[in-house]
Amino acid sequence: MTALPGSRRLIVTWLTLMMLTLVAMFSARLDQASWEPLPLASALLVLVATGFKAQRLLMVYLNLRAATPAWKGTFVGLVLLTLALIGAGYAAPRLI
Amino acid sequence: MTEGSPSRPLPNPGWGPLSALPGNPLMWVLILSEVVVFTAFFALYAWQRAGDVAGFNAAQQDLDPLMGGLNTLVLLTSGLCVALAVEAISTGGRRRARQWLAASMGLGVLFCVIKVVEYAGKFSAGITPETHLFFGYYYGLTAFHFAHVLFGLGLLALVSWRTSTENVETAAAFWHMVDLIWILLYPLIYLLR
Repeated sequence: MTALPGSRRLIVTWLTLMMLTLVAMFSARLDQASWEPLPLASALLVLVATGFKAQRLLMVYLNLRAATPAWKGTFVGLVLLTLALIGAGYAAPRLI
Repeated sequence: MTEGSPSRPLPNPGWGPLSALPGNPLMWVLILSEVVVFTAFFALYAWQRAGDVAGFNAAQQDLDPLMGGLNTLVLLTSGLCVALAVEAISTGGRRRARQWLAASMGLGVLFCVIKVVEYAGKFSAGITPETHLFFGYYYGLTAFHFAHVLFGLGLLALVSWRTSTENVETAAAFWHMVDLIWILLYPLIYLLR
């Protein structure tokens, strides 16, 4: 069995994930009375927070940090591809 | 994938390219395939939304992003509990591992309750998958994820009964995958507009 992250690391990661969720919610301007489209910068912040959350979950909760760089790159790359596709679909109608 | 340096032993020797992955290698195959499947659906959603931004945005207003956010926090906390269960069983704390697994399952059930309340609210308001294409994706993607949560709860219950390091680690990996997919799904369906 590979070395597992300790309790402290797990709790710090959990706190980070919770904070990033709140950052994403705040960036999405849920407090607004009107449901207006997000500014591109806010949408970008939502996607960046999501990407960082996914990276932390992979590296710490799933302990991918114990794997080779190739596997780390594969999974992080897949997450980045997913977010790029989401972001492209979101931004394309505004930019074209 | 590389075989790693000789000074660093492989977590799963004999598994070929998968030998460098921690935990059960087959679970990583499942995680990879599930993420690919969800990515395909997310891309399709983004593509179709780009063709009807106003319609998707109007339909999206009927969702409650705070409820979705609450469910995110619940699922992430459940993920912490299952990670602590892995840590406990790896140090011989079988009873403590079962307690963490029970906490994780309790939060998983809470996630399901919140989701069912959300679905019930939508159906009682006459919002069905046929209402708009957006709701077709909303129900389809969240229900597919919900099915994974139910399966994950079954796995966690099973390893609470048959508690071993390998079993808990394998079930925990599945549960974290459920977490990972929700992390990607939540902003797409609830936040981006």
